[in-house]
Amino acid sequence: MSDDYLWDRSGKPDRDVEKLEQMLGQFRQDVPPPDFGQVPMKVREFPRRRMYRWMAVAAAAAAVVAVVGLRYAIQQQPATLYVARLAGVPQIGERPIAGTDQMKIGQYLVTDSTSRARIDVGLIGEVEVEPNSRVGLVTTRPTEHRLALDVGTLHARIWAPPGLFFVNTPSATAIDLGCTYTLTVDSAGAGQLRVIKGWGSFEYKGRESFVPEGAVCETRPGIGPGTPYREDAPETLRAALEKFDFERDSTALDGILHTARREDALTLWHLLARTAGEERGRVFDRLAIVMPPPAGVTRDGVLAGDRQMLDQWWEELGLHSATWWRMWKGPAPQVR
Amino acid sequence: MGTTLDLRMVFGQRQAGTSTTVAELPDDASLVAAARNGDRAAFGQLYDRYARMVHGILLARVPGSEVADLVHDVFLSALRRLDTLRDNSAFGGWLAMIARNRATDYHRRRTEMTEVPETLGRDDPPQAEAHAVLEAVRSLPEAYREPLILRLIEGMTGPEIAARTGLTPGSVRVNLHRGMKQLREKLGWSQDHE
Repeated sequence: MSDDYLWDRSGKPDRDVEKLEQMLGQFRQDVPPPDFGQVPMKVREFPRRRMYRWMAVAAAAAAVVAVVGLRYAIQQQPATLYVARLAGVPQIGERPIAGTDQMKIGQYLVTDSTSRARIDVGLIGEVEVEPNSRVGLVTTRPTEHRLALDVGTLHARIWAPPGLFFVNTPSATAIDLGCTYTLTVDSAGAGQLRVIKGWGSFEYKGRESFVPEGAVCETRPGIGPGTPYREDAPETLRAALEKFDFERDSTALDGILHTARREDALTLWHLLARTAGEERGRVFDRLAIVMPPPAGVTRDGVLAGDRQMLDQWWEELGLHSATWWRMWKGPAPQVR
Repeated sequence: MGTTLDLRMVFGQRQAGTSTTVAELPDDASLVAAARNGDRAAFGQLYDRYARMVHGILLARVPGSEVADLVHDVFLSALRRLDTLRDNSAFGGWLAMIARNRATDYHRRRTEMTEVPETLGRDDPPQAEAHAVLEAVRSLPEAYREPLILRLIEGMTGPEIAARTGLTPGSVRVNLHRGMKQLREKLGWSQDHE
């Protein structure tokens, strides 16, 4: 018998289906909508910077509430993560995934050139794993979910409070600070963190880079994260950063300072923490040209590592307040 | 042709009482974008469009008496989290996931409560039969009960279920067919049941 009527109500009516429709129709949705006007929500852009500051305060307060609520909500999550096949035949260890499966601590999800998969990270977010990737589950518990990306690419979308989701790579650990990002690791262990929304960070043995929306950060085995830069940074600036960060070529600083635009103030600000003495003074001078320091921020103070002044200058970058990530992560990159 | 047909199936019920044409209806991505920018009326339209799907997903998993509150929870949660949605056009699948997770949360949190049978106190025979049939549907495997409830109770067609939930039409059709077969067996109905 054809199931056309069951499918789309075409063809000859199926009497069983008709009877069920009539009998069960009383349970149909008739719930009026709630008052959506009472719900606070984030709006992407505000016309004035002052609004950002108020948003940061409100977001911080909401985040505290969210931390308490979410930490409670995730108490009962199992010590496994669900994995769903998106394309091809991804595997957990040697086991092919047909639809959905579970990955235990210590197991690896492996995709070949034609397969993709999604990992549901408990209640806190999801990770899409691209072809030719190898992702391990290191730990999953209420206070920490940690994957290991040995090679390949993953896209993470995390809506948990900052500091609950981590991805180990051969050269640095990516830490979610409430964001959507793409993380790539090549066969040599070099990595790249590209933040699509929110904030992320790369960390290796105390060396740390905070990466805001629209920025990228590279990392190299044995060295750790480099200086973050904007996605649209000039190629010459990227090349100079590569030399400065990973080849320890101090002459590359000239190229960075020569090329940096106003839009690259993020990079220069980070470099204040990665230089010392005369070099830090040159970074200050360039940053002061492209993004003049606010009142009260002095050259001597910044060269001495005055954190309050660094924060004040950070506020000028328009990348949200520095105070909120200090709340979660402790001090900003230390000025040496 | 295919696109037009699918849109007519998706929006068919709302068109019945309005002169708005399919071409004039904003797509999901536009409504989500507007809602993200604070347009609550746009989110209200998304509610109109997706309330049946959310209701059906919840009804497949939690007691009927809890569904109305949970429908509100799901939409309010979605509104608050809207800015985490990466692809506006994936709203339906994302919302379905929130609804399923909300149903799971519900069961986790009520483990210590005693469940009252939903048929308790229902003496009216037709009512009792309807509830018994609903329970039979809800006793089917999850893959079957959700599309069957969306089809038989919420009045959605198979193509509409696929479009709304983000599942493939092939998988929805197979699950409807197999679910209906199992339901007939549970109810003791033969294929040519009167």
